[in-house]
Amino acid sequence: MRTDPDLAADAARGNDSAFAELVRRHQARVRGMARRLTDSSGDADDIAQATFLTAWQKIGTYAGGTFAAWICTICYREFLQVRRRQRPEIEFDETAEIIPFDRTLADTGDKMDLSRALAKLPEAQRICVTLCVAASLSHREAAEATGWPLGTIKSHVTRGVAALRKHLAATEVA
Amino acid sequence: MRDEDTYADLTVLFAAEDREHEAKPFVDRVMGRIRAQARMRKLLLVAAGLGGAIVAASQLPKLLADSVGLDASLTTSIIQAQEGVSALASANPLWLGIGAVVVLSLMAVAAMERA
Repeated sequence: MRTDPDLAADAARGNDSAFAELVRRHQARVRGMARRLTDSSGDADDIAQATFLTAWQKIGTYAGGTFAAWICTICYREFLQVRRRQRPEIEFDETAEIIPFDRTLADTGDKMDLSRALAKLPEAQRICVTLCVAASLSHREAAEATGWPLGTIKSHVTRGVAALRKHLAATEVA
Repeated sequence: MRDEDTYADLTVLFAAEDREHEAKPFVDRVMGRIRAQARMRKLLLVAAGLGGAIVAASQLPKLLADSVGLDASLTTSIIQAQEGVSALASANPLWLGIGAVVVLSLMAVAAMERA
C-alpha cells in the first residue's frame, strides 16, 4: 500500500486520484474531529470539505511528517475561521476553563455517549482531547496546530481525559 | 509509559465512532468540487489562450507583409475580411451582447468556485 507522503507527492504533481485516496483514508478522522469541535454535523461536514479543499490547494506545502497531523491542523484552522464568523463578539481564550458550548436537546437525555461526554468538557479541554485522543495527534503536534504551549496541551489532555472517564463511568452506573 | 498510552482505550472508542461515519458520498463530493475547479481553470485558460491567439492572428497579416514581403493582395484581402467582420459585429450589437454575457458568466462562475 502506498504511504501518505507518496500519495501527497503525487497529488502535488496534479494527480487527483492520489488525493482522492488521501481523502478516503482521512475523511473519518477529519469529519470526526470537525464534529467534535463544532458539535454540529452540518457545520462539521462543511468544515471537513473546506479542510480537504484547502489541503488540495496547499498540498505542495506539505513537507513530510505525519499527514494526519498536517490535515488536522488545517481542520482546526477551518474550525477557528467558522467560529470567528459565527461568534465574532467572543474572543477565544485558551486559558479559560469553562466556556459554555451550544448544546442540543439530546444532551438532556439520560444516556450519555462518548460524544456527549466530550461535549460536556470545557472548550480548551475538548479541543485538546479531540486533537490528541480522538485524532491521535501527539502532544507536540497538537501544540503546533493550536499554537498553545506544550505544557498547556498536556495539562488540558490529562484533565480532559480524567473528566471524560468520570462522565463515562457515571453513564455506566446510571 | 508514554502519555498517549494512558488513553489508548479512548482512542480506540473514538476511532470506532469515526468509522461509523465513513461515507463514500463525502469523498465523491469533495473530489467533485476539486474536479469542477480544475475544469473551470482549464476553461478560463483555454478562453484566455483563444483570445490571445485571435489578437495575435489579427496582427499577423500586417507583420508578414512588413517583414517577409507577403503578397500585398493576400494581406489586403485578409485585412479587408477582418474589417468586414468587425463592421458586421458593430452593425449588429447582439454579437457583442452575447460575447459580454459569456465573459461575465465565466467570471461569475470562476468567482463562485473560488468562494
